[in-house]
Amino acid sequence: MSDVVLWIVVGTALAFDFTNGFHDTANAVATSISTRAMPPRVAVSLAATLNFVGAFLSLAVAATIANGIVQADLVTPSIVFAGLVGAIAWNLATWYFGLPSSSSHALIGGVVGSAFVAGGPDAVLGGGILEKVVVPALVAPVLALVVSAIAISLAYRIVGRRRPGPVSRGFRLGQIISGSLFSLSHGTNDAQKTMGIIFLALVANGDLNASDDVPTWVVLSAATAIALGTYVGGWRIIRTMGSRIIKMDPAQGFSAQGVGAAVILSASHAGFPLSTTHVMSGAIMGAGAAKRLSAVRWGVAGNIAVAWVLTLPAAAVVGGLTYAVVALFGADEAGPIVVAALLLALLTVAFTRRLAAGRTLTAEG
Amino acid sequence: MAAIDFHALGQVVWVSLVAGVGVSVLFSLVIFGAAKAGDARREGQDGQALAFGALAVTAMVVFSVAVVVGVVVMLHKG
Repeated sequence: MSDVVLWIVVGTALAFDFTNGFHDTANAVATSISTRAMPPRVAVSLAATLNFVGAFLSLAVAATIANGIVQADLVTPSIVFAGLVGAIAWNLATWYFGLPSSSSHALIGGVVGSAFVAGGPDAVLGGGILEKVVVPALVAPVLALVVSAIAISLAYRIVGRRRPGPVSRGFRLGQIISGSLFSLSHGTNDAQKTMGIIFLALVANGDLNASDDVPTWVVLSAATAIALGTYVGGWRIIRTMGSRIIKMDPAQGFSAQGVGAAVILSASHAGFPLSTTHVMSGAIMGAGAAKRLSAVRWGVAGNIAVAWVLTLPAAAVVGGLTYAVVALFGADEAGPIVVAALLLALLTVAFTRRLAAGRTLTAEG
Repeated sequence: MAAIDFHALGQVVWVSLVAGVGVSVLFSLVIFGAAKAGDARREGQDGQALAFGALAVTAMVVFSVAVVVGVVVMLHKG
């Protein structure tokens, strides 16, 4: 691998990390902002800081990208690059439409698509997709919905006849704790994916041995990218999760977030990782449905579910097309350079146009 | 279906249920105990205020332990 391709993969991985941060900000802050537990800017600042800190707390980086989902010996820097482009494209598309979706599944989808185009159907392991994408995507929202519904029912039963003022203040305080736990967990988990990609690229380029420690600049850059993305905030997704699925009170906000954190950490403990986005969306729906089924805007929930179903195939199509374009230029660095330049131009246009709209949404709360 | 780890899946379901419901109930008890203790103190019922205060503190301690366990879990994964 040439140094140019290496740095393009590093830059693309950090760009993905950034989109991962702003896409997932909603999981940590949407309920807190919606119930006014924290002002929007304070909420995203706290989430960004804890994501940054979290990235340094756990350095058990993901060993391989899409491990067990594509043939590991076929994975090249060009496949990883094309997969990252597919994931970034899906994250941007769902952000534009304000739909929460899994960044991890988008990354897996992107790599599946590029590996499929590069190596044919045998490059993709169907059992891995079933185990690591399909089953978790079915389990996460249903489990979180049921647990959240039980939790909020009991919470209402316990505090039901108390004066609403102190109760709301109490649950808002609880949301700061559960939201902080969520952000810290996100930093320890999602920044590692980017560190893993950069580390593998450095090993493939001969700059590092597989047994070496992750260089400090890799940790620092991955932590910074995810924290910056979190701070910028995907406000359209925050609005969807915070107020478009249900109109929540502080008790519902706390229960959804507390249950979300508990489910994510329980899954981590059991070695059965679930998507943070799927869990939080399910928990919010459960907190609303327990009050009354009609409290949930099922049309919005349906749109979110459609986005989840489309995540892997849509990212795979973009990843596959990207790899096909890269391959047109042969084995040298021309392909990644052309695609990276196009991506950079598109990102610049998208952020310039949407940042202003994001500020407006912030001001509206 | 051999690819699916049903043991891990079962563990996720029951641990999530216990932890998720437990965290929510504990914090609700903190709020309930604190609110009732405040009411009792205003009405001059010191014994009740002490009992509800103790309930709030105990629930807060257990809730804090749960948060610490969560942090330990996130630091030891992978």
